[in-house]
Amino acid sequence: MATKIINKTVTELSLRITRCFFVPSKTIQTNATLFQERLETSITNVEEQLPTTIRPPLPIIHSRKLAFPPKFKAPRQVWVSNMDTVEEEKLGLIDLHPEVFAERPRVDIIHENVRWQQLYRHVSYANTKMRYEVRGGGKKPRQQKGSGRSRHGSIRSPIWRGGGIVHGPRSPTPYFYMLGFNTRLNGLRSTLSAKLAQDDLHIVDSLDIPTDDPSYLEKLVEERGWGPAVLFVDDNDIMPLNITAASDSHGHYNLMPVYGLNVYSMLKHHTLVLTLAAVERLEERLLFHLNRNDAASAGQKYRLDSV
Amino acid sequence: MTSLLGSMISTLGMALRYRPLIGVSSQVSKANALFNPELTTVRFRYHADKVAKGPVPRRHGYEEKLFQSGLLPRKVSVDKALPMPTYKPKNSWNEKRALFGQNDYIDILGPSNEISQKTLHPTQLLYHVPPWLRGVQGNEYQVLLRRRKFVQKKGYALGHPTKWATLNTRIKKLYTYLNHKTKSPFWKHS
Repeated sequence: MATKIINKTVTELSLRITRCFFVPSKTIQTNATLFQERLETSITNVEEQLPTTIRPPLPIIHSRKLAFPPKFKAPRQVWVSNMDTVEEEKLGLIDLHPEVFAERPRVDIIHENVRWQQLYRHVSYANTKMRYEVRGGGKKPRQQKGSGRSRHGSIRSPIWRGGGIVHGPRSPTPYFYMLGFNTRLNGLRSTLSAKLAQDDLHIVDSLDIPTDDPSYLEKLVEERGWGPAVLFVDDNDIMPLNITAASDSHGHYNLMPVYGLNVYSMLKHHTLVLTLAAVERLEERLLFHLNRNDAASAGQKYRLDSV
Repeated sequence: MTSLLGSMISTLGMALRYRPLIGVSSQVSKANALFNPELTTVRFRYHADKVAKGPVPRRHGYEEKLFQSGLLPRKVSVDKALPMPTYKPKNSWNEKRALFGQNDYIDILGPSNEISQKTLHPTQLLYHVPPWLRGVQGNEYQVLLRRRKFVQKKGYALGHPTKWATLNTRIKKLYTYLNHKTKSPFWKHS
């Protein structure tokens, strides 16, 4: 059971990343972690009364400094909820950068991104044989003249039944292409903005839940009116044990690190739930790319064998 | 304009049916019926009512050739229905489908090296694509040339002689076809 859970979240990739790139994880010092009193007993039955969480007077989280402060657009404000209880408790209000979360959603760019994601990894292995590849057909079937029948050179010519195919599929056919860097960047921005605008984006302080019971998550999602399918995004790719176990049996509750976020997944899942750490990382990454000095070099066309 | 005319004509029909014409000349009444500011057309037919009565038929005149009812085809001697696979709907939320597209934006959202700012590229994550085909965009001739380049170092000719021969034949044939039988694309003509 333990190994199965680990395999779900800790991908080969994440191990590579932790080995190759050391990025100190930025944790936000929220007062919730400092002042919260919680009973540290292991509870498996949800029907038992969960310990009431004692919180200081709200709002606990009330300010967030935006990198690259927006000049002409107002920041968007979002509630920060909790995952400790089934009922939603609003812990505070934070600002979101409008360049990331309040961009006018470009549906055509979103479509381009989805199409790219579906196609760039697709390889068609369909294959048909040419006339010289089909078994047989080297000998002339009959004399050129005299039989009264039509003339032929090979029984595997394309006009024959069982003969070769002239312009058929040839395996393997790659459908790879690379969408422009900025198109993909703007696809992410558009989708995040659309999710926020349509009330499908929620911020939580962390993904720590009190039990590993799958029904806890079901009740939570049902109570809060979050969509049938929910995508939980955190900064770290190793998720807390409880939520991993709870979501393991449900295919429609999925956990993802920030680097795994993509337009297709955001559209497939009805609701997107980001932790505060994920929001910080996401904004930092997208704003870095929007404001970098060497954008031209980053946005260059992809060349084969260059990576 | 045609709708206006149509509405006028329908109004005319309704007016002539329901208005008494006693004591009024027919010319005047007709003119009145054609244009009368006091009259207005009122919608009385709605598509929703038609749909409420029952399913609206489509493809008028089309005869469905597939079985809609009755026994399935069977062998008369055995009197057992021919085997049909039981329908099993696909699981849209299995691991592969639920996490489709993950890590496609790793070069944007992934961590970058602080000095060189290099990141992983999504082409490096195409584990299910043959290594020589990762990030390759081209026609059959270009793909085959690349395959030959990758494969000849590993002694492919000794291990797979027929396939090696087929590969080379195909490249030769494509070379002659593309260079002797087809013209270069328009952007290559100087």
